[in-house]
Amino acid sequence: MNVIRYFRSVCIYGSVFFVLAIFILPMIWVILCSFKPTYELLTVPPKLLPQKVTLEHYHNLFKQVPFARYYLNSLVVAVSTACIASLAGGMAAYSIYRCRYRGRGFFYFLFLVAYVFPKTLLLIPLYVLLAKVKILDTPFSIIVAHVTLTAPFSVWILRTFFTSIPIEIEEAALIDGASRWQSLFRVFIPLSAPGVAAVGINSFLMSWSEYLFASVLVVSEQWKTLPVGISVFLQQYAIEWGIMMASSVLIAIPPIIGFALAGRYFIQGLTAGSIK
Amino acid sequence: MYRHGDEYHTSPCLFTVMRARCLRIKFLSTDSGVGVLLIAPLLLWILLTLFYPLLFTIQISFTNVRYVGTPYNYVGFHNYRSILNDPDFYSSLMRTGVWTAANVVLQIVGSLIVAVVLNQEFIGKTFLRNWIVLPWVLPTVVLAIMWTWILDPTLGIVNYVLQVLNVTNGPIKFLAAPSYVLPTVIIINVWRWTPYLAIIVLAALQSIPKELYEAAAVDGATALQRFRFITLPSIRPTLAVLTLFSALWSSNIFDTIWLLTGGGPLDYSTTLPLYIYRVSFQKFRFNLGAASSVLFFIMLTLFAFGYLYIIYKRGLERGVG
Repeated sequence: MNVIRYFRSVCIYGSVFFVLAIFILPMIWVILCSFKPTYELLTVPPKLLPQKVTLEHYHNLFKQVPFARYYLNSLVVAVSTACIASLAGGMAAYSIYRCRYRGRGFFYFLFLVAYVFPKTLLLIPLYVLLAKVKILDTPFSIIVAHVTLTAPFSVWILRTFFTSIPIEIEEAALIDGASRWQSLFRVFIPLSAPGVAAVGINSFLMSWSEYLFASVLVVSEQWKTLPVGISVFLQQYAIEWGIMMASSVLIAIPPIIGFALAGRYFIQGLTAGSIK
Repeated sequence: MYRHGDEYHTSPCLFTVMRARCLRIKFLSTDSGVGVLLIAPLLLWILLTLFYPLLFTIQISFTNVRYVGTPYNYVGFHNYRSILNDPDFYSSLMRTGVWTAANVVLQIVGSLIVAVVLNQEFIGKTFLRNWIVLPWVLPTVVLAIMWTWILDPTLGIVNYVLQVLNVTNGPIKFLAAPSYVLPTVIIINVWRWTPYLAIIVLAALQSIPKELYEAAAVDGATALQRFRFITLPSIRPTLAVLTLFSALWSSNIFDTIWLLTGGGPLDYSTTLPLYIYRVSFQKFRFNLGAASSVLFFIMLTLFAFGYLYIIYKRGLERGVG
């Protein structure tokens, strides 16, 4: 009996380790390589751990490209997107899941279509539209595009959070003499804050990573976001591996922090929203 | 339901000015007032930046406009004719088909396996179940840099391992050889999306009542039988929806392919989104780009509705939506 149990746990941990190795190991490899000096990167039997830890690539990165500027642009765009998308998305979700009026089901359907809608097809018309209102080649154009890309998803994810808050709590507030608005601000918003925060962080992540729209809508160097600015390295003939890996480690930090803060809520919302 | 709150506002109205103000407050306090007011910003935004541009694409596809602000005329179906006569369109359409089909199959199978593995009892399971989606959370550029490095012909670790194990004689140019490029990009994209789908499948697995498995174990069902007769039927609705979403998402992927290969070598990894991008923003033929977008949209819509119809026919409608 003991042998069987032992065999079972070997199987379980073996399979878990296998999954872990496939999905997590490549990233750890890149992090390790970003600390290796250039000659170590170019040696052919590669060593697993850096023999000599160096920050030269991180240092060179800031010298070769306006990395700090890209970082700032990306932060501004992603934070604005997150604020607008979670605010507007939260309001719309409250309206859909908490209010009763005609056409509500249709609005819900519209947002669902907007969520599933293939966003690549928006590229040309949105470009033309933003050119007409003359905000092309400014960060505003990217923010507009990113809100459109992420907000419908926010409504969809918020469904879980909003339906999990019992409507009786709000009713109790109304019976105690609070107005509709008071019950919204004093009762509902504090309760739904984690959900809205998770949605905001999700929008932040999407905006932080987005490449296509950011690369098309903005061409001048001073407004480029991180993914666009860094992608230049990939198109060079003489690839500077060290700098590339250092930059990818630095780009990955905000998403990892964001995910550490709200990943749990995000996955809850995602899974509960999709099964039904 | 909120009657009490309404009275609270309406009762103290005495003067007409006060009355008007109170009526406004009353409107805002009722369900439809609050609802419409709250949904308006996002609704207008989406209508303006998503549904209106869609009509715009259709308009552009019937003109000969090449770029923003240039004068144009309406040319009827001319753009559609020239797209349909373009061999590059057909080859990228075929490639999109291969890309999407391979992605969907591998992602669904892969996510099922990963979900079953993560559904076991092991130390640190909550941690791993959350962090496994990291490949999906990271920006595409990071992913492109990472895989370009790992798959590099001379310095990459994969080629090194393959040669040490004597699987291959020389280095393989995973991202630069015509016969390898599409499978390689497919695998990388599957690697990225599998954990994301696996998390959703995992949630479906966890919603299966434990009693079913206990009863089956009592009846002497093997692990394989339990999977075949309990697990699969229970999560079939979820898989059906995921298949559709995976197909729609995969067929539209641009950045992964673009950053890894730029659509090359030659055109060997150019799918329709890359084709549209090239036509519009490299050759500056917005009219042709718009026409192929419209064709692509029609094909996706037909696919989605066809798929939903088949699912519906099989009586799985509770899984959809």
